[in-house]
Amino acid sequence: MRDYEKYIRYRTFPSPWCPGCGIGVTLKAIATAFAELDLDPDDIVAVSGIGCSGRMPTFFNTNTLHTTHGRALTFATGIKLARPDKNVIVISGDGDSSAIGGNHLIHAARRNIGIKMILINNGIYGMTGGQVSPLTPQKFVTETTPFGNIEPKFNIADLLMGAGATFVARETVNRMKPLKDVIKKSFLHKGFSVVEVISNCHVNLGRRNKMKDPISMTKWIAGRTVTKTQYDKMTPEEQDHKYPVGLIHENTSRLEYSELYYKHIVPAAQEAAKKGPGGAAFAAQKNTITYRGSK
Amino acid sequence: MEKHEINANKEALNKRSKKKPSTKNNIIKTVPEYCKGCGLCVDICPTGTLLLGDAIENKFGVSIVVDAPDYCIGCKMCEMRCPDFAIFVNYEKEKV
Amino acid sequence: MEDTKKKNRKVLQGNIIVAEAAIAAGCDFFAGYPITPSSEVAQHMSKELPKRGYDFIQMEDEIASLGACIGASLAGKKVLTATSGPGFSLMQEHLGMGVMAEIPLVIVNVMRGGPSTGLPTKPAQADIMQARWGTHGDHPIIVLYPAFSNELFCETIRAFNLAEKFWTPVIILLDEVTAKAHEDIELPDTKDLEIYNGKTKEIKDLNIYDRNIGENPPRVDFFQGYPIHIDGLEHDAHGWPSSDPENADKMQKLRMQKIYHFLDEIIKFNEYYMEDAEIMVFSFGVSARAALPAVEEARELGIKAGLFQALTIWPFPKRELRERFKKIKKVLVVELNMGQIKYEMERVASDDVEKKSLLRANGIPFTPKEILEKIKEF
Repeated sequence: MRDYEKYIRYRTFPSPWCPGCGIGVTLKAIATAFAELDLDPDDIVAVSGIGCSGRMPTFFNTNTLHTTHGRALTFATGIKLARPDKNVIVISGDGDSSAIGGNHLIHAARRNIGIKMILINNGIYGMTGGQVSPLTPQKFVTETTPFGNIEPKFNIADLLMGAGATFVARETVNRMKPLKDVIKKSFLHKGFSVVEVISNCHVNLGRRNKMKDPISMTKWIAGRTVTKTQYDKMTPEEQDHKYPVGLIHENTSRLEYSELYYKHIVPAAQEAAKKGPGGAAFAAQKNTITYRGSK
Repeated sequence: MEKHEINANKEALNKRSKKKPSTKNNIIKTVPEYCKGCGLCVDICPTGTLLLGDAIENKFGVSIVVDAPDYCIGCKMCEMRCPDFAIFVNYEKEKV
Repeated sequence: MEDTKKKNRKVLQGNIIVAEAAIAAGCDFFAGYPITPSSEVAQHMSKELPKRGYDFIQMEDEIASLGACIGASLAGKKVLTATSGPGFSLMQEHLGMGVMAEIPLVIVNVMRGGPSTGLPTKPAQADIMQARWGTHGDHPIIVLYPAFSNELFCETIRAFNLAEKFWTPVIILLDEVTAKAHEDIELPDTKDLEIYNGKTKEIKDLNIYDRNIGENPPRVDFFQGYPIHIDGLEHDAHGWPSSDPENADKMQKLRMQKIYHFLDEIIKFNEYYMEDAEIMVFSFGVSARAALPAVEEARELGIKAGLFQALTIWPFPKRELRERFKKIKKVLVVELNMGQIKYEMERVASDDVEKKSLLRANGIPFTPKEILEKIKEF
């Protein structure tokens, strides 16, 4: 079923993004994933922070929430715990998620709460006019690094795996079908999932680094796209300039946070209530749920 | 048009020169009001079916032109890549 | 003795009274972060909410806590968070979003000595202006300030009812002393309580912010079958981002008038010995608890003093005070800070009213004797 238009609010078009911006490509990939999973629009809530990517929810014909810069994951956590039966999607940019939102990113991963995050990494703060971000490649010129960016960038996948994320993938806006497929797969994953989308911001990042149009910048991205096996054979210096794509990490044995809460905490609390004041300790001992994925 | 747009057209025509018209009758639908003339579809089209054309009514001055519809092989790469929902291939037929 | 057994009398810590009241008001979601002197609210909720199948979560910081609350409120829950000064400072941006998107939520700020880390285990009443103007931009706010143990309970109920009725964040200011002290309280039976649920389930169209002056937005929460959009950006009647000046002006006034149209319903205060008072002592929270015996002692000395104890601090009870200042020409503001409500009183009381203030910011609450000495200075 390719009727992804069912998930689009056409009344809000044309979109505000620059001609050729990768965010539109990601929007279509997400809408297509919704369509292919035949999700009920009312069972979806799309939450976003501030930035170019933040404007995406306005275009989904589902429940949508545009929150504060860097904090989308906190709102989404509240929604997911309140309504674990719903699909909670978070759309965030590289600055929104890994700079101001970094604290919430690692904690959402640590908790393994069932939020589906699409992290659009165009290596720049686009909406505010092209400032450096934690994912801007080194040496690149931006409005706040006129002499070249000296700061090394995060490897978001490693950061997330370190924080305990149970689904980490990376794709690029050049590879629309694999991008849509891995987003769809992440929607089916129980637990916290992140799909990093390498996207082009030719107007802010590209223009100041000899790639001022969408075609040349998407070619630059294609040049940096490698498979995991190629990536693993490279030296760390080479690796720093490459983006390995595909499903990078998946752990399906850990329980999702809200499921763990309703399956263990609620019964334990009710059990403890029957036991009177000392009940909490009693309930804790009876805990038989395995957390860390050990069988 | 700008240099990179002219280049995209040149490359498209170059690709088309190496291809033969397709036998399948694929229908391409464009939505000029949404097209921003970014050229990504022209770049990705394997058979040079699409070109960028001057368009005064378009705020960006450029818009997509289905220059050689019979060359379209229906791969839909243009549709998947269009950030602005401005191009569809055989959409009505397959939108079951 | 038989009588007390029948009644539900308990000795409870102030924080626990607030938590129990929240549950009685229908609170089914708490997200918070540990901070002295409010942690007991979270600790109590971590047992009592799951017991009822409700949600409790400790988030990574106060920003995240209020974010989670707003998300849960939009998912249909009645939400609460509790913090103290430093955490309350972190919550301000999301407080603003609660105002902008018109989302019911309750924030308890158990105040402590400030600024910065300040006096974490000592009381102060110095977050009053922050409660009013902490978040950026023009905005209405409702701030309640209970003092006595029964007020901790009924003002928390009122906070939830006001939040539900006016679709706004409501702040409850508590003093470190009243929050941490264990006090005797008679818990009312929940069936006698008037609990308000303001959320609509059906809407006629998707213009979820389209309404007249003084009305609530006809907004539903998420997952009610309507593809609604909630935004921190200024938005039009539909909820979609809009920077149109005319719309912005209209929406600002709609948000303000939603509160200022109903001051009679929102503003609440207690009056002691005010009928024939010549000196008004204006106070709130722990200072008001010392001011009451001071006023009684003054009466015994033949001084006609009276206590005006504000339970709603914001919106400020301006009309009610001006009414009283027609007769009363002396006012003493007693507050444990270096002068905050003092300036509000100077704005509200006319020039012919003699104004004094008893101020202090060393973490030691006022004693009745100190207040009495100040009353005598008139």
